Amino acid sequence: MKAKRTVHYVGGLMAIGLSVGAAMAQNATSKIVGAANAFLSSLDQKQRQTVQFAFDDEAQRARWSNLPITITKRAGLNMGSLSAPQRSAAMALVESTLSRRGFEKVQQIVEADETLKNNERSNPMFGKDLYYISILGTPSEKSPWMLQFGGHHLALNITIAGEQGILTPTLTGAQPALYTSNGKTVRPLGQESDKAVALLNSLDESQKKQAILGFRLADLVLGPGQDGKTIQPEGLKASSMNDRQRALLLDVISEWTGIVHDSSAAGRMAEVKAGINETWFAWSGPAEVTQGTNISAYYRIQGPKLVIEYAPQRLGGDPSMHIHTMYRDPTNDYGRKPAAK
Amino acid sequence: MKKTLACITVLLLAGVPVAAHRLDEYLQATLISVGKDHIQAEVRLAPGVMVLPVVLGSMDTNADGILSDAEQRAYAERVLRDFSLTLDGERLPMRMVSLKFPKVEDMKQGVGELQLDLIADVPAGGGKRRLVFENRHQSSIAAYLVNCLVPNDPDIRITAQNRNYQQSSYELIYEQAVAPGASSLLSGAGGWLGAVALLLIARLAFVLRSRTVARDPFLDIVER
Repeated sequence: MKAKRTVHYVGGLMAIGLSVGAAMAQNATSKIVGAANAFLSSLDQKQRQTVQFAFDDEAQRARWSNLPITITKRAGLNMGSLSAPQRSAAMALVESTLSRRGFEKVQQIVEADETLKNNERSNPMFGKDLYYISILGTPSEKSPWMLQFGGHHLALNITIAGEQGILTPTLTGAQPALYTSNGKTVRPLGQESDKAVALLNSLDESQKKQAILGFRLADLVLGPGQDGKTIQPEGLKASSMNDRQRALLLDVISEWTGIVHDSSAAGRMAEVKAGINETWFAWSGPAEVTQGTNISAYYRIQGPKLVIEYAPQRLGGDPSMHIHTMYRDPTNDYGRKPAAK
Repeated sequence: MKKTLACITVLLLAGVPVAAHRLDEYLQATLISVGKDHIQAEVRLAPGVMVLPVVLGSMDTNADGILSDAEQRAYAERVLRDFSLTLDGERLPMRMVSLKFPKVEDMKQGVGELQLDLIADVPAGGGKRRLVFENRHQSSIAAYLVNCLVPNDPDIRITAQNRNYQQSSYELIYEQAVAPGASSLLSGAGGWLGAVALLLIARLAFVLRSRTVARDPFLDIVER
């Protein structure tokens, strides 16, 4: 009788927990929809026409890149064309979809591009004015729609589908990947580098032999234009790791899963954890790194519902200063799974 | 190093976006997909701006600044000749299914990407299979990438991938379930005849493979 009561008690707590989680997610979605409508209402009719696309506009979905907008054209509204209140409303919308750290990362990537512009004698190819925002579908708490924000080294594709915020595919990058702002050293993708090194260093020699690939990886394999493809995984399988190593692997992954707002990030992380034993870690390049700087090695994490690539770019200079990363869910890029329901 | 810096300076002065992307390499990315009766290869070729004069020189053979259909076709065929594909030691001829050429202007910006779709017929077989793909195109400036897509066919299971450091040579080992027709050969009244025929074929394949393996450049690479 006592046991039965305990089961009821635990069951009740779980139900409360789940409904609190759902309420939080719904709350996040409500905020996002509110921010989207506030942004749209700040625009004139012509701007609204320019920023909005049909939810199933495949061409617009795929219109993102690591390259500057002067090389690969984007569509929507660029930040430089907006008034100060409109720009604030746009950034408030982006912020509402992301976690605190996720938004900070986005701001640092944009700031890196502004630094690049200044380092290159005000090169008009770069800078914070050259980031585009677009909305696919109609902002709604129930029906799926999508927010895109990106430019050089940034492509956020965020599908809002009811409670869910789906961040795949998303590209982050940075150049310079280490710079100084207001006297502080900034590394927009520094945690992605440091946490991967911690994971690599935790492996024993036999595990390293499996994880470290004996060939050069010069670029992203599943970067822009490579939607819908799943490559054969390689490296060290997490089922061959111990609990601590798997925790370190999850910590690396959290740098991408944690970009989206907290309640969606929690759901996404649970999904990744469920497939952790089928997740692979592969590394190519130098294992050594000077503390406080970024690695110049490539790495890939691939699981049943996850592909992460970290790819330093060689431009005749220091590859650790120019990084591209890719984050995908081969089963749910652009939120196709909920959209299909 | 001095030469690279000088090139970068010249490109900067010319307004070419040097900071944005690959400069001094010719990215050649291949995605292979394996089926029971065919192998497909999707190839993307993207020259960096600093090596473009070398690449363009071999594309625009009459140097008129325009890539005619004939020049595009001829270049794609040259690329194809620089590839080799073998399965179980037997060379498989690849043919072009589609070709998409970038604009010269895009290549000058460093974003032009040539896309080649290739296919090769696979002779019937099963069990453990060994595919070797080699790319020798513009090796002095190339940055090669080769990967295999997860097979759509549940009867095909990839068991190993090996590459040399540059990824110019790629070996894929996979298991292919034997077709039901092959096992039926071993049953029924004429079963013994089928078994003898299969043994003879296997023996012949072993002899031929032993000869091929001796010349196999991939083994030279992995043994180094």
